[in-house]
Amino acid sequence: MKFSVPIFDVKNLSFIVKEQTILSNISFEIFSAEYIAIIGPNGGGKTTLIRMLLGLEKPTSGEIRIYGKKLSDFKEWHKIGYVSQRASHVDNSFPATVLDIVSMGRTSQRKLFSPLSQDDKELVRDAMQKMDIEDLAHKMIGTLSGGQRQRVMIARALASKPEILILDEPNTGVDIASQKKFYTLLSKLNKEDGITIVFITHDIGVIVDDIARLFTINQKAIICNNPKQTLSCEEMSSLYGIDAHLLHNHKHEH
Amino acid sequence: MFEMFEYDFMQRAFIAGIIIAILASISGTFIVLKRYSLIGETLAHSALLGVAIGLVAEYNPLWMAVIFALFSAWLIEYLRSAFSIYSDAILAILLSGSLALAIIIVSLGGAFNNSLFSYLFGSILSVSSEDIIVISIFGVISLVTLLLFSKEFYFIAYDEEVAKTSGIKVNLLNFLLVSVVAVIIALSIRVVGSLLISALMIIPTISALQFRVGFLKTVIFSLIIALFSVMAGMTISFYFSLPSGATIVMCVLFIFIISLITNRR
Ligand SMILES: Nc1ncnc2c1ncn2[C@@H]1O[C@H](COP(=O)(O)OP(=O)(O)O)[C@@H](O)[C@H]1O
Ligand SMILES: [Mg+2]
Repeated sequence: MKFSVPIFDVKNLSFIVKEQTILSNISFEIFSAEYIAIIGPNGGGKTTLIRMLLGLEKPTSGEIRIYGKKLSDFKEWHKIGYVSQRASHVDNSFPATVLDIVSMGRTSQRKLFSPLSQDDKELVRDAMQKMDIEDLAHKMIGTLSGGQRQRVMIARALASKPEILILDEPNTGVDIASQKKFYTLLSKLNKEDGITIVFITHDIGVIVDDIARLFTINQKAIICNNPKQTLSCEEMSSLYGIDAHLLHNHKHEH
Repeated sequence: MFEMFEYDFMQRAFIAGIIIAILASISGTFIVLKRYSLIGETLAHSALLGVAIGLVAEYNPLWMAVIFALFSAWLIEYLRSAFSIYSDAILAILLSGSLALAIIIVSLGGAFNNSLFSYLFGSILSVSSEDIIVISIFGVISLVTLLLFSKEFYFIAYDEEVAKTSGIKVNLLNFLLVSVVAVIIALSIRVVGSLLISALMIIPTISALQFRVGFLKTVIFSLIIALFSVMAGMTISFYFSLPSGATIVMCVLFIFIISLITNRR
C-alpha cells in the first residue's frame, strides 16, 4: 500500500483567516481503500480541512496533491464523491425527485450535448440499489426523512463511480437505528467495492471497530493509526478536547 | 374571438410573445432555484438604459437593450466575485444607476414620450418585423443554450459547491446563464416592458413549485403557465386597449393565486 501513489498527499497545510489560525501545519496521506474517521470539537476546522482538499477553500500555506497531481492540475473530479455537511438540509420545496438528485451524479461525465445514456441510467440505478432507495425513486426529496435523505446524497455521490467518498457529518439529525444501518452500508462500500471512505463524525463509539485510522482535528491534527489498540490515541484525543471516554467505554463493552 | 389575428401587428405580437414566454419561463426556473430572482429586475433596467440611448441616438433600441443588458450581467458577475458579500447591494446599485441614467438621457434627448412608455409597460402595437427577426435569432440561441446545459444549471442551482467538486465548470456556466438571461430580458421588453418582465420570469416558476413535482414537470408547468398568461394577457390587451405587460402580469398573478389555493396544505 505504501508504495502506491496516495489519493491525497497533504503537506504542512495551514489555514489562517483574519490573523486567526484555523488549521496549523497539517500533514497526512490517504491511500486507496482506507477507511478513515475524522473527529474533533465543533469549530476545530474539520469542514475547513475537507473544503481545502476539494479545492473549495485556498490554504494559506502548504501543499495538497491528489493522485500525485497539484490541485489545480487535477481534472478527474468524478473520482471524488463529496457529501457536504448541509447536504441533507435541502430546501423542502426544491423541485427534485430522488431520481433527479441521484442523476446529478452523472451530470459532469455525460458527453456534452447529449442526455443521460443507457449506461448512465444503469449507474444511477446501481447507486440507488446500493443505498437501498430504489423504492423512493419518484418521491420528492422534501418528503423524505433525515435517514433517507442521507442515503440519497450518498447515492448521488456514488453515481459518479468515485474511488473515494468524503462525508462531512453525514449523520447529524438522523435517528440511531438509521445510523447503524448507515454505517453498515458505508463499511460494505469500503470492503466490497473497495471505495476509500473518509468521514467526519461525532459518534466515534459506533464505528470504531471498522475504521482503519482516526484523525483528530482541532487546529492541529493527530493521526491515530490503530484506534482500537493504541491507548495513547485516547490520551491524545482527550488532550484535544475530544470526548475520549466514548472510545474508552466502547473498548470495555467488548 | 380570432378577429384580432386579422391585424399584422397582432400576429407579430403573438409570435414574439410566445417566444418570450418559452424563454422567460425556462430561464426563470434556474434563476428562481438559484435564489437569484432579483437579477432580472436589475437587467431589465439596464436594458431600459440601452433603449433610452437607442431612442435618443436613433439606433435600434432592441439591439441596444441586448448590449446593455449583457454588459450589465457581466459587470454584476464580476463585481459579485470581487466583492462576494455585497451581491444584493450590487444588484440594487446597478438597478437604480441604470434607471437614473436612462431618465436623464431621455430627458435631455427629448424622447420622453409614448415610445418610452411602451418600453416600460409593453405594447402589442410596437413589435416590428425587424424585431421579430432579432427576437427569433437570439431566442433560438438562448433556448439552445438553456437546453444544452439544463442538467448543469439544475445541478448548480441545487448545490453550487457540490457541483463544483464534481467537476462542473460552475463559474463559466454561471456566467453563461446570466448572459442568456440578459438577452432574454432585453428581447422581452417590447411585449412585456422593462418594469414587468421580471414578473414573467419568476411567477410562473413560483406557481409551478406549488405543485411539488420533479424538475422536468416543474419546467413544463412553468412553461404552460407563462404561455397561457402571455396569450391571455395579449388578448385582453387587444380588446381593452391596455399595455400588454400589465395584462400579462395580471394573468400570471391570477394563476399564481389559483396554484396557491389549490395546493394549500
Ligand atoms: N473562510 C472563512 N472565513 C472565516 N472563518 C472561517 C472560514 N472558514 C472557516 N472559518 C472558521 O474556522 C473555524 C472552523 O470551522 P469548521 O471547519 O467548520 O469546523 P468544524 O467543521 O470542525 O466544526 C470556525 O470558527 C469558522 O468560523
Ligand atoms: Mg463542520
